[in-house]
Amino acid sequence: MKREKIASYIITFVMLALAILWIYPYIWLVLSSFKPVEDIYTRFWPKRLTLEHYKFILQASERLHRPFVRAFMNSLFVTVTVTASVIVTSAILGYVISKIEFRLGKAIFNFILYQMLFPGFMFIIPMFILIRNLGWLNTYKALIVPSLISAWGTFMFAQAFKGIPKDYIEAARIDGANELWIVFKIMLPLAYSTASIVGLFTFIGTWDNFMWPLMVVRDYNKMPLSVLLASFNHEYAGYVGPVLAGAVIQTLPMLIIFLILRKFFLQGISITLK
Amino acid sequence: MHRRLGWKERAFGYSSLIPYIAYTAVFWGYPFIWMLVLTFTKWNYFSSPKFNGFGNFITIFSDLMFWRIVLNTLNFLAFLIPMVLVASLVFALLLTKVKFGRTFIMLSFLLANVSSGVAYSLLFSNLFSVNGPVNRFLEETFGFTVPWFSNPELAVFSICLIITWKFIGYYGLILYAGLLSIPNSIYEAAQLDGATKSVIFWKITLPLLNPSLITVTILATTLTFGIFTEPYLITGGGPMYRTLTFMVYMYDTAFKRINPSYATTIAIVTAGLSYGLVMLIRKFFEKEVVFV
Repeated sequence: MKREKIASYIITFVMLALAILWIYPYIWLVLSSFKPVEDIYTRFWPKRLTLEHYKFILQASERLHRPFVRAFMNSLFVTVTVTASVIVTSAILGYVISKIEFRLGKAIFNFILYQMLFPGFMFIIPMFILIRNLGWLNTYKALIVPSLISAWGTFMFAQAFKGIPKDYIEAARIDGANELWIVFKIMLPLAYSTASIVGLFTFIGTWDNFMWPLMVVRDYNKMPLSVLLASFNHEYAGYVGPVLAGAVIQTLPMLIIFLILRKFFLQGISITLK
Repeated sequence: MHRRLGWKERAFGYSSLIPYIAYTAVFWGYPFIWMLVLTFTKWNYFSSPKFNGFGNFITIFSDLMFWRIVLNTLNFLAFLIPMVLVASLVFALLLTKVKFGRTFIMLSFLLANVSSGVAYSLLFSNLFSVNGPVNRFLEETFGFTVPWFSNPELAVFSICLIITWKFIGYYGLILYAGLLSIPNSIYEAAQLDGATKSVIFWKITLPLLNPSLITVTILATTLTFGIFTEPYLITGGGPMYRTLTFMVYMYDTAFKRINPSYATTIAIVTAGLSYGLVMLIRKFFEKEVVFV
């Protein structure tokens, strides 16, 4: 028994060490983005800290026609719009197909399951052709409109709402509540963990999306940060410092939203098991 | 009274599903039709599509680059699946033994999972570059360096390594949840029957963990068929086309070789291969698990 206790303490320290090893790349990234360029590859602890790489990104990038700040705002605008829309539309559609009994709703529920069978990459080139035919290349619409509704999000809400007793809805109806009020004031608060999971994964997926914006946006002023950063690295790979500072900025919003909603991320994992 | 309420909610149902159907017809139905049109035609974005029958499929099976990518994908799978399974299983098993700091450990591994594809590709291509920090460390302590991304076989391995870095936390927690769902009484009964630790692991833990292990294997398999960002940004598909993946080939075919019909065919065949492999995994490895 005593040996087991010692063993589990050893395991704990090994795991803590591994945990630090796992975030080492992040630590290196953040430290490097504040190091003078000659120290990036050679020293772990910086001799002195500098903001030159961030300054380069803020100002000098304008000279190179790589508007980082604007790209960050583009990413933020696109991601927030898509995430908000997915939560709202998924909640309404999830409610309709799980709580209102009519034939069309059942059919749509089955169709959504069918839709989820197809991997996204099968549609990516036909989708590009659609966007091109609509004349939406190099617009925000190309980045936003195709993602406004999510089959997965709708499915997640439908599953969550199924577990909520119908009495809640009936009671609200008797009090004269309309359906939209029921969705947003009764159902959504009861399914807040689903809302957080859908929001978190949609935010991360949209912010991190790379192949799609790479296809539809060639205009540097409309690019999300992921694509701008990649193209900057492609042409100016020698500027290691600014590239790493850009990587920090690209990572930060995802980390922040993850840390805020981390509890639901864990719940999301156990939900995917079912 | 009841009838009127039923009518009201159905009216709400129709009024929200009809816009949904219109949206889906445009942003799912239309591309779906184009997908079918493209696979059976030849097209270069400008002229009108020419009917080509199964020509694209015949081309793909005689395309040497396609077979190169099939081999590459098998190569990726051969590294990635064992690495991911062993590492996440060890992670999950050790996590059940941890005394304190469990939240910190989970968060550290999950932070890797929420890294941005572009950012972490740039990060690792610098960290593992020829004269980067990792090689400098190896040179100073052991006197050798490793050509992480410039040796063909190592490049495949290195990409698998960083994907493993990214996904261990996520997959490990899936297995961890699976481990927690195994009732303690089963272990106690086995101990009473005098089962040793290794017997318990091989005969009880692993078989009962089968559903979670299959989930992780399938997730990692579908992930492998979708690898794009890492080779696109780090190796560009090289050296010697060894890290070229279906997605990079599809992208290049559509936009560098201006052949969207062939690119769509690649996407469909890739989806078919991925689906087929998942089915094989389920058929041969999936076991029904019931806790009595």
